[in-house]
Amino acid sequence: MWADTLLIVFISICTALLGEGLTWLMVYRTEKYQKLKAEVEKQSKKLEKRKEIHGDSLDKQHKKKIEREEERLKNNNRDLSFVKMKSMFAIGFAFTALLSMFNSIFDGRVVARLPFLPLNWIQGLSHRNLPGEDFYDCSFIFLYILCTMSIRQNIQKLLGFAPSRAASKQGNSLFGPTPGQFK
Amino acid sequence: MNTKTKLIEKNGSSNPPPTSVWTRTFTSNSEWPDKEEFLDVIYWARQALGIVLGIFWGLIPLKGLIGLVLFAVINAGVIYFYFGSFQNVDEDEYGGAWELTKEGFMTSFAGFLVTWIIIYSGLYYEVDKFS
Repeated sequence: MWADTLLIVFISICTALLGEGLTWLMVYRTEKYQKLKAEVEKQSKKLEKRKEIHGDSLDKQHKKKIEREEERLKNNNRDLSFVKMKSMFAIGFAFTALLSMFNSIFDGRVVARLPFLPLNWIQGLSHRNLPGEDFYDCSFIFLYILCTMSIRQNIQKLLGFAPSRAASKQGNSLFGPTPGQFK
Repeated sequence: MNTKTKLIEKNGSSNPPPTSVWTRTFTSNSEWPDKEEFLDVIYWARQALGIVLGIFWGLIPLKGLIGLVLFAVINAGVIYFYFGSFQNVDEDEYGGAWELTKEGFMTSFAGFLVTWIIIYSGLYYEVDKFS
């Protein structure tokens, strides 16, 4: 049991590093990305500060300024996503192939025993391709997803590739379904 | 050293604190001029806590929903106590207590589940299987 679980942790560390390495090669090291990222971060911080100071004021001039900056930030964020998209596709394909290979290796194999009964809608994942009805048995894919969830983000943060909080905060509010966004 | 201290006193809070992040992390009521730095401390503390709790739950072994609920309560409670009582930071500066309480929670939860599952199945699976 130890061998399988530790192997899965090792696999997910390797795939996370591979993913970040590939993204670095294709995106992070490019001048265009670095310039855009710095710009987005600067604007996000500026916008956040401005909103903090003038958030409640009804001054039209301030509101207009904030709106203009939001628009600029939105455009930069969109450009940033386009730059990332290329590598996302490449990595997506590579990982789908890798995952199907690991899936066939661990097909029908119970890799771990869950100390809790997963919710109904998770059982499809945690019991994928496993024989029997014992839902405490854990499939490869469930453990792999959990490992990736924790390891990938931590590696991104350690290497400094994670998007800054200010940028993701502004980004979320901007990409939300705001009415009249595409007018 | 003396002149440096005097200079800091003179300039007040506009100067960056002279102590390292590690020292400030374990000293109560520390000053955090950089918000990101404090959020990073919360984030990494959470990851460490998740892994430690996962190891404990696996060793005991704790089973079922109670393990998940206890993790959520302890994880949120410890962090809440840390920023509210130990560091005494102004929550509103960080967008409210909720923002701080959820900082890095999902990653910590995933890390906790992984360690809990691995330790539990490694130590007790064979026993479970034959009992």
